[in-house]
Amino acid sequence: MHTEVPKNTKTKRPRTKKTLSLKQKEGLQGYIFISPWIIGFLCITAGPLLFSLYGSFTNYDVTSRMDFIGLSNYIKMVTNDDLFWISLGNTIYYVVISVPLTVFGAVLLAVLLNQGIPGLRIFRTIYYLPTVLSGVGVYLLWMQLLNPTTGLVNTMLSWIGIQGPAWLLDPNWTKPALIFMKFWSLGGGMLLYLASLQGVPKSLYEAAEIDGANAFKRFIHITLPMISPVIFFEFVTGIIGGFQVFQEAYVMTDNGDGGPANSLVFFNLHMWDKAFNVFDMGYAMAMSWVLFIIILILTLINLKLAPRWVHYQGGDQK
Amino acid sequence: MSKEANYFQSVKVKKRIKQTIILIVLILGAILILSPVWWMLATSFKSMTEAMQYPPTLWPHKWHFENYIETWKAAPFTRYLLNTIFITFFVVLGNVLANTFIAYGFSKIQFKGRNVLFAIVLATMMIPGFVTMIPQYVVFSKLGWLNTYFPLIVPAFFGNAFFIFLLRQFFMTIPNEMIEAAKIDGGNHFYIWSRIVVPLSKPAIATVAIFSFNGAWNDFLGPLLYVNSEKLYTLQIGLSVFKGQVSTQWNYLMAGSLLVLLPVLVLFFIFQRYFIEGMNITAGTKG
Amino acid sequence: MRFFKKSTVMLVVFLLAMGTLLAACGDSKDEASSGSKKGKTEIEFWSFWGSGTRKPVIEKIVDDFNKSQDKIHVTYKYLPFGDIWTKELASVAAGNPPDVIINDINSVQQRAQKNQSVNLAKYVKNDPDLKDQFYPQLWNTVLYKNDPYAIPFNTDTRVLFYNKDLFKEAGLDPNKPPTTWDELAADAKKLDKKSGSQYTRLGFLPRYGIGPDVWIDNATGVGEWDYKNGKPVINDPKAVQALQWIKDYEANYGSKVINTFQSQFGSEQADPFISGKLGMEMNAATFYTQIRDFGKNMDFGVAPMPEMTSGNGHTSWGGGFVAEIPKGAKHPDASYEFIKFLTSAKEQAYWASKNFDNVANIQGSKDAAKDLSGKAKEVYQLAVENLDQTLITPQPIEAPDYTSLVNPEIDKVMLGKKSPQAALDDAQKAVEKLAKSNK
Repeated sequence: MHTEVPKNTKTKRPRTKKTLSLKQKEGLQGYIFISPWIIGFLCITAGPLLFSLYGSFTNYDVTSRMDFIGLSNYIKMVTNDDLFWISLGNTIYYVVISVPLTVFGAVLLAVLLNQGIPGLRIFRTIYYLPTVLSGVGVYLLWMQLLNPTTGLVNTMLSWIGIQGPAWLLDPNWTKPALIFMKFWSLGGGMLLYLASLQGVPKSLYEAAEIDGANAFKRFIHITLPMISPVIFFEFVTGIIGGFQVFQEAYVMTDNGDGGPANSLVFFNLHMWDKAFNVFDMGYAMAMSWVLFIIILILTLINLKLAPRWVHYQGGDQK
Repeated sequence: MSKEANYFQSVKVKKRIKQTIILIVLILGAILILSPVWWMLATSFKSMTEAMQYPPTLWPHKWHFENYIETWKAAPFTRYLLNTIFITFFVVLGNVLANTFIAYGFSKIQFKGRNVLFAIVLATMMIPGFVTMIPQYVVFSKLGWLNTYFPLIVPAFFGNAFFIFLLRQFFMTIPNEMIEAAKIDGGNHFYIWSRIVVPLSKPAIATVAIFSFNGAWNDFLGPLLYVNSEKLYTLQIGLSVFKGQVSTQWNYLMAGSLLVLLPVLVLFFIFQRYFIEGMNITAGTKG
Repeated sequence: MRFFKKSTVMLVVFLLAMGTLLAACGDSKDEASSGSKKGKTEIEFWSFWGSGTRKPVIEKIVDDFNKSQDKIHVTYKYLPFGDIWTKELASVAAGNPPDVIINDINSVQQRAQKNQSVNLAKYVKNDPDLKDQFYPQLWNTVLYKNDPYAIPFNTDTRVLFYNKDLFKEAGLDPNKPPTTWDELAADAKKLDKKSGSQYTRLGFLPRYGIGPDVWIDNATGVGEWDYKNGKPVINDPKAVQALQWIKDYEANYGSKVINTFQSQFGSEQADPFISGKLGMEMNAATFYTQIRDFGKNMDFGVAPMPEMTSGNGHTSWGGGFVAEIPKGAKHPDASYEFIKFLTSAKEQAYWASKNFDNVANIQGSKDAAKDLSGKAKEVYQLAVENLDQTLITPQPIEAPDYTSLVNPEIDKVMLGKKSPQAALDDAQKAVEKLAKSNK
């Protein structure tokens, strides 16, 4: 295993005079590097996005009409659709609890799995396993595990003397059930932090240890700042993904109807219903742009706050 | 001398205790994580009658090993396996190449409009896929790509917002001084990308590889939408035959799911060597 | 490790790939559509029948059709349930749909209105007696502005299954199933079994196998929507009574007992009737196949759904699927020929008897009953008779997703948060509002 370190070659180039053209040259290289994304964006992504933006101002139903109706969809959403607000509330509940919980849990797990423990690779594989399991089969499996009387979850709870709730049948417990399920698959986040932890210099810990810092202090003052770029990443993408929670609720409720007393009607579930059951695609598109604005604002706030706590070793603080 | 030895002794003991505690916590966690998997495994070996039985059994009365053979024969799974491997290989290749390339541009080169463009990258993640799905389908149809793997593979070569963001976060922890030094030595950005940044980011790139492998391997809606001929179906579509409209063949569904899962786990196990502490060179260079 | 060292090679590969992709990106030639091969019209048929039992049957029917004539060749394709229609919608939008597809009977009118399916009037005109071949309630669902947009394929109906062994054990006459709600409740009580204070068996669960909406259908005889006048009739007094009856029934046991039982079997894997934990169960007639396969020779009977009060009618509820031609299909004439074959008495009887499924064709249904024997015949015959009093509740085009407003209100009643009257009044108002906003 050898990694290459750039060797300082003796010949130093004479500094050129035209700094401006150098800067331009640099800029050009930047565009070359991101060009695959630009091409893909223009060729594949941008069209459908703009189409959906325009569609949100129409009564588009995919097959028979697409007439401009101004802001009607947006007005209807806020004034005449109770499920819109219910779904937004449910989604925010889910995001507010599940995102911090998963981020925190995954950091903790990664730190534990970064110690010199025997059987490390096996542990890591086990904890990553739920992330690999995906698709409808897993949700069906969880429906069984969450069965209040025969399910494994409540059975295990009863071993330690706790009578488990009715989970998917009790409107108060449906969302916690889904959050619990999400927490089960925190292996993905764990993997990211593990990757990030590999970049934390051992010498830092050794120095701190000599200074008498205990494990907790070392974690707060060394580990956390060093992996903060990835925590930031997980936080931002977690919010983006959390707001788009869909398949769990779709599969785990009867015909995707949103569970007892609408407790699992998430934003995207309502949107899906509008788009593919009622074919009110224009309305669904309007909903998606409202969601976009909400996520965008949250992401911008995140980006604004980032310099206060995200530490980039590279030197940039953006 | 003996004092010092004692000190080391006590440090060692302390470390032992700490390790043991961590180990116990991890084992308990692993049991929690694995118990649903046990349920899958047990069900996969049951007869259909036993799988439908109440109350459900935790240990199969009789182990039906032939379930796995039956499952594999229920659809042309060997063919689906090859198809899935083909798609996954190119998706992972595309994602690893394109995203390291693009993320380098967004993190280590200054150019006009960089922040705005990066904001757009993030923004593309924020629009739910449902509403762009149909226009997207029409675009691919106009390109004549339906019933080919192009719609599944090609986008990977144009980068993926999630991975670009992820790699950018990692690249930004690589000291700029290293880049500058290399530049002074006459290295251009391609050189720096391929010789410094990529080798330094192996754990991050391995993560991207694992994630995109996982994504492509488990993709269901993509192949379903864009592939028409049954010959080109993938494993995930194949699994759906066990979940009928009226009833579900639980034992076969679970056996199939476990078979599909296996390659991903093996790969993950192998890829782990990129997650060994101290591999990253930044460790030594900056404190 | 070498992987990363060869990054320059990879770069070349990458640029090459980019190049070809770029070329492809600009190229926008349409795929050559599958035209006529060897003078035959090639058509594609999509459905979600992919399981080991159903796929061979439908493939046999397709094969028979291909052999029965030499002008059209049909290719069958399986796609997963649910997703099949997402794909269809995308393919209609892109202009390359399948030629024939099996779709939900409850949304035919919506698809017709949205121009997603082909008007079959000009074909059906040449077959004046076609419509009489199908059950009228099914044929009604395929009409939009009096034109047919699909041909019914199969259907189902909810009937009462009761365990004769348990009936005998409880001192009930195994040949006299309950016929009214009161009798049902009384029989159920006798079938209950307790061990200490714990119920180990219940006679009946009103919300297992069917939902409160079916009780409402049974009570009112029309359901929640008045299709003739295009308006909701959700808070009908009989509907309120139906909900009250369910509530009272469950209150006898307490929500804890009901929830425990309900939840034990909530995950569609094990069934309480088959496990002997439930004396009677409402379910689709096809439930018979599960009893046959997993019921360990239990002795059971079937009966129509009990009526609210004597003379109110044994109205039951059902759904089903239709065959239709998506808009933009290239060979609608050939597609129609195939649909006609698919829904003809002979093929329907074959489908029905092989799969133990209720079909839309009346003659086909009757013939299938003849092909069956024993218990299967008994159940099937009852199901066929029951079709005459089975309500189909298609999504009204005025408010296609109205159930998303009604069901949460009913949930609230069952959770004890609202009275049946208040909940259904609120639901009625909400649905009226929805219908108005859709105008």
